[in-house]
Amino acid sequence: MSGGSARSLGKGEACPPRSAATLRRVSGPGPGGRAAPERSHAGGSAPPGPVPEGLIRVYSMRFCPFAKRTLLVLKAKGIGHEVININLKNKPEWFFKKNPFGLVPVLENSQGQVIYESAITCEYLDEAYPGKKLLPDDPYEKACQKMVFELFSKVPPLLLSFLRRQNKEDCSGVKEELHKEFSKLEEVLTNKKTTFFGGSSLSMIDYLIWPWFEWLITLELNEYVDHTPNLKLWMEAMMKDPAVSSLFIDPKAFRGFLDLYLQNNLEACDYGL
Amino acid sequence: MTDDATRTLGKGSAPPGPVPEGLIRLYSMRFCPYAHRTRLVLQAKGIRHEVININLRNKPEWYFTKHPFGHIPVLENSKGQLIYESVIACEYLDDAYPGRKLYPYDCYERARQKMLLELFYKVPHLTKECLVTLRCGRGCADLKLALRQEFCNLEEILGYQNTIFFGGDCISMIDYLFWPWFERLDVYGIADCVNHTPALRLWIAAMKQDPTVCALLIDKNIFLGFLNLYFQNNPDAFDYGLSC
Repeated sequence: MSGGSARSLGKGEACPPRSAATLRRVSGPGPGGRAAPERSHAGGSAPPGPVPEGLIRVYSMRFCPFAKRTLLVLKAKGIGHEVININLKNKPEWFFKKNPFGLVPVLENSQGQVIYESAITCEYLDEAYPGKKLLPDDPYEKACQKMVFELFSKVPPLLLSFLRRQNKEDCSGVKEELHKEFSKLEEVLTNKKTTFFGGSSLSMIDYLIWPWFEWLITLELNEYVDHTPNLKLWMEAMMKDPAVSSLFIDPKAFRGFLDLYLQNNLEACDYGL
Repeated sequence: MTDDATRTLGKGSAPPGPVPEGLIRLYSMRFCPYAHRTRLVLQAKGIRHEVININLRNKPEWYFTKHPFGHIPVLENSKGQLIYESVIACEYLDDAYPGRKLYPYDCYERARQKMLLELFYKVPHLTKECLVTLRCGRGCADLKLALRQEFCNLEEILGYQNTIFFGGDCISMIDYLFWPWFERLDVYGIADCVNHTPALRLWIAAMKQDPTVCALLIDKNIFLGFLNLYFQNNPDAFDYGLSC
């Protein structure tokens, strides 16, 4: 990987014409392999053009667990989409016009409508596109998935806090908190007596919480679910899902990214490219 | 008098029986803004319901079987199904009951309302902090400044949309989800926080004309009476103003 910055377009340059080289189209249920991800867009880059008809665009970052939620839903529903990666350590100014919070994921459709907040993007995709419904139609079952989502909400900041501290200070307090949160999720599975959080088949809630459990696997922290057998079985079942396995992160790339990211290195988001 | 004008149940009270068919039950507290959201939706959709008020300083033991931490609001239907978190409860009611839909039909417009809710997330905490700080006799200039900033963000939305309500020209779910905190600005002593946001003031005025909002408006003196007792840690605070 060269030491140069992400493919740069100077400020004020006209947006280049859309071409196969500029925009990597990732189509719906295609054969196995994914299209090569492009380098992230950073400060100074020109804004991308409008989204082509028939596609939806997701502003993402290869290692972001929140954006992963949206990518999983796009994949699971076979929705034709294109991905524009954003350098989260050096955000382009135009990106704040897409999302004032400056966060990924963000969806943009060919009508120029923009949707942000990962859970909102996932629900929008489920409602707007045909095919397999990931959220249940039954109002109570849908509410249950949202209640489990709330139950899970402490895990992302805890896990991030744990990763920041590793090999530095004593993180036993954070470990204990994580155990507590995982036990809550274990209780849900035990009470429901089903493999997945929404029932006997995989559904929205499973995709929404998956990316952080994928971290446990890529970072070889599986022992954290040793005391939660149902959660462990759920993880194994998730790994068999086609959307999950096709989007699984390469552990080496993730470690490389994480090290650079925690050092606030501007190249982190493009690690491995 | 609203239909939630009943005394609270506290420690030692007998658990209520199952919810009768044809009704949905709301565990609530007359002055809680989160529960207020759910009561607004029940009222707006004309949903037949019963209210059980909970003494939040002296929670009944049985209530923890309804919510693991004893929070309100909680919905319970006649099948014994429990739904909690105010926003989840409101969406459940809109999905489960016929008639007037409070969330838009269009999925992009629905997503927009949910994004707007994210913009609002600091308001409840800030208004509560202002209230507590003022009641403790301290100044809350910094907090009010922060709250005014949040209100400016909302003002910008109304300006950009050029509509009276947050969801368009008619009142909808997002307006009801915001309303309880704006109704409380006056009684909390921070009504001046909307001095520089004219579109927001127009929205407040329009909301006060809504029949649903009106039906549930809390009398200012009763609210003040509750607040006085609440800040004295009096467990009877929650029943203030009830004649029975």
